[in-house]
Amino acid sequence: MRRLEELFNRYKDPYSDMILAEGVSVLCSDLQVEPQDIVTLVLSWHMNAATACEFSKEEFFGGLQALGIDSIGKLQEKLAFMRSELKDEQKFYEIYNFAFGWAKEKGQKSFALDTAIGMWQLLFAEREWPLVNHWCDFLQDRHNKTISKDTWAQLLEFARTVNPLLSNYDAEGAWPYLIDEFVEYLYDKSVVDK
Amino acid sequence: MYRETIIDFEQGCKCLEAGVSELKRILEEETSETRIDPKQYLELYTTIYNMCIQKHPHDHSQRLYNKYHDIVEHYAKKTVLPCVQQKHDEYLLRELSRRWDHYKVFVNWLSHFFNYLERFFIPQRNYPSLLEVAMKSFRDRVYLEVQVNAKDVVIALIDKEREGAQIDRELVKNVLNVFVQSGMGTIEKYKEDFEMFLLEDTESYYARKASRWIQECSCPEYMIKSEESLRKEKERVIHYLHSSTECKLVEIVEKELLVSVAKHLLEKEHSGCSALLRDDKVDDLSRMYRLYHPIPKGLEPVADAFRIHVAREGNALIKQAQDAAANGSLVEAQVLVGKIIDLHEKYMVYVLDCFKNHTFFHKALKEAFKVFCNKKVGGSSSAELLANFCDSLLKKSGKSDEAIEATVDNVVKLLDYISDNDLFAEFYRKKLARRLLFDHHKVNKEHETIMITKIKRQQGGQYTSKMEGMVTDMQLAKEFQKGFKGSLTAKPGGIDLAVTVLNTGFWPSYKTSTDLNLPREMVECVEAFKSYYGTKTNQRKLRWLYSHGTCHVIGSFDPKPIELVLSTYQAVVLCLFNNTERLTYQEIIEQLNLSHEDLVRVLLSLSCAKYRILNKEPASKSISTTDVFEFNSKFTSTMRRIKVSIPPPPIDERKKVVEDVDQDRRYAIDACIVRIMKSRKVLPHQQLVSQCVEQLSRMFKPDIKMIKKRIEDLITRDYLERDAKNHHIFNYVA
Repeated sequence: MRRLEELFNRYKDPYSDMILAEGVSVLCSDLQVEPQDIVTLVLSWHMNAATACEFSKEEFFGGLQALGIDSIGKLQEKLAFMRSELKDEQKFYEIYNFAFGWAKEKGQKSFALDTAIGMWQLLFAEREWPLVNHWCDFLQDRHNKTISKDTWAQLLEFARTVNPLLSNYDAEGAWPYLIDEFVEYLYDKSVVDK
Repeated sequence: MYRETIIDFEQGCKCLEAGVSELKRILEEETSETRIDPKQYLELYTTIYNMCIQKHPHDHSQRLYNKYHDIVEHYAKKTVLPCVQQKHDEYLLRELSRRWDHYKVFVNWLSHFFNYLERFFIPQRNYPSLLEVAMKSFRDRVYLEVQVNAKDVVIALIDKEREGAQIDRELVKNVLNVFVQSGMGTIEKYKEDFEMFLLEDTESYYARKASRWIQECSCPEYMIKSEESLRKEKERVIHYLHSSTECKLVEIVEKELLVSVAKHLLEKEHSGCSALLRDDKVDDLSRMYRLYHPIPKGLEPVADAFRIHVAREGNALIKQAQDAAANGSLVEAQVLVGKIIDLHEKYMVYVLDCFKNHTFFHKALKEAFKVFCNKKVGGSSSAELLANFCDSLLKKSGKSDEAIEATVDNVVKLLDYISDNDLFAEFYRKKLARRLLFDHHKVNKEHETIMITKIKRQQGGQYTSKMEGMVTDMQLAKEFQKGFKGSLTAKPGGIDLAVTVLNTGFWPSYKTSTDLNLPREMVECVEAFKSYYGTKTNQRKLRWLYSHGTCHVIGSFDPKPIELVLSTYQAVVLCLFNNTERLTYQEIIEQLNLSHEDLVRVLLSLSCAKYRILNKEPASKSISTTDVFEFNSKFTSTMRRIKVSIPPPPIDERKKVVEDVDQDRRYAIDACIVRIMKSRKVLPHQQLVSQCVEQLSRMFKPDIKMIKKRIEDLITRDYLERDAKNHHIFNYVA
């Protein structure tokens, strides 16, 4: 317990009981990972952190205790394990959906487009989805607005269940409007044959 | 007579045989004297009688019964059959008929002689009756041998009759009676040995006719021939066929002549259904209905052809209007809508008259109209055109109530065909507002009410509530004005003021210009009304629409004073010139606080248009911010009063209406989705969408994409959520 206290104090912000952006950078360099590395997302997920680049005391303690860690060394060792968690279907699903709340602006209900695209690139680097680049192109080309929570969640469903040739895509289904538009876009650009 | 002596069986038979031979001889001679000698008759009767009542072992009833059987058998086999078999064709039938009649007489006589058997012995033993025995013998000995040939001859005769020859109908009838009777109480022999073959023959006969006629004849000619054939076949049944054959025969004729060629017939190029409608061939169309009505599913192709034709006509009308619009000419709503109404009336006559008010044809008419009544012409939707039509109609004076009612009935029917009802309501409301506010001299309140009432009856009260509110407002305003006038001791500002108060909820939204600086006199007016209104109502806020007011101003021009009918804006600008002769644009705009666009329009109307009330420097055709204006004291006109019109602001009204309606639709869809989900709690996507469409269909045809978007919006607003396991299902979030 005391070791966690020490660890926390190393990173915490001088004026509040939180680890903020500065502290996170230090943490990352201690762990020898880039701040944009997806493993930070996994770590945040374990801590159930409310927002990116911020950890409250409860979140920090809770997460590390759950992982059975009380030192940087142990945390570093756990990194490989955390990366592997992304390969697990169910965990990836939870982490993906967690990412929405975590990465968006505090107080906003939806994702800014740039943030969303960044997150998608990051996440789908871990789990191959052949259409991810087309999706991001499409959004920048045609959408230019924020991404709702529903669209975020449904996109994963889409990537998981609909094959890249769209042969099992049900146009009458309950897919969000944006995804229907995406399918139209793919046909228009002859990425997929109708 | 009481006899002592016993009659021996052989003895009795001899007597019997003698009698039978006598019968045969009489029959053969076929004289009118077909009577037996009474003495012989009695002898025969008594002999048999006695043989039956004799005591055992001389009671010969059973042997007599058998003897009877032998007699009839013998007659049938040895007399009747050979005679018939010798003949052919029609002679066969004649012989058969003749022998059949003889047989019946023969059996009848015998039944008298053997009467005792019939009454006592047969019922006792429960044996077949004498008649039954006789019929059976005829059937087995004669009928079975000759029925095939007889049948062939009969059918050949029928075919001959079909081709126009005269045949002996009584003969055929009698022969067919043999078939019927041979069924021994059932109709089976007739059906199996004759009817079946007749139907087969009929089928191939009419199949041949159909294929020939369909090539050679026009549609009306073909139908006449068909009608004739059906009539003749029915007649045939009455005259010599068994009544049970009728429906089967008719069915076959209908099938061969009408059903199998239906498509070919109805679609005949120059004489088919379409052509008949085009050429107004009422009789032929009625015949078509008559012929196809009794056939199951027979009317469907006819109704279809009707629908296609009407849709084609309607589309042609629309295309004509669309082409004219593309060429630059204005879309004349009156003309087009009038033509559509005429089209509707024209084809409704057919539905009521030729097609006997049948639901299929009402439906076909409705569907046809729905197809083209929803097409756009020159950028205007049909809803807008219809609203324009109503506007022109209600502005016309001099029409009687009946004439208006008739036209309005037609309008309301067309409204039913238009899928964007709500769009019509919006356009109508806008136009109604303009009529009530600006053309109130032309407004005929009864006519307006007639229109709204009829629309209400079809579309419901909610649809027309705002329109009704507007009309009522005008009425209330008039009465309120009376009260206002009565309360005044003097004219405020020396002006005759009339105010119309509009209920915001009912009327279209207008931009207000409360910042306008009114001249002192007008301010007095406004204040006077405000205070009166405050005494009469509770806590209501008035927003003044100066943009919509009218002002009568006396212009004191040098030649003569002229009354000017102006908009309030125009009046306000001119009043500035009461204090000075010249004003610059800048001064005007600063003093009045009008928007630039509004002021430009006003100044144009006063200085560059028909009437030069103001002089402008420089005297160009447009207004610039550096212009200077001067009161034109030299202005004059032959009239004592002139209306200085001002063109309305160039807002794209149509665009605004469409936007407003879209907005309303979004709310309607939201409310609908929430309502459905609240009651169902859980619902798959497909069903939610289809229920939504159904519930809203009264007002408009919702766009599926829009529904999807609204669903997503409601998810974001936490009214709905997707089911965790199946993302195609939604849950209501309480």
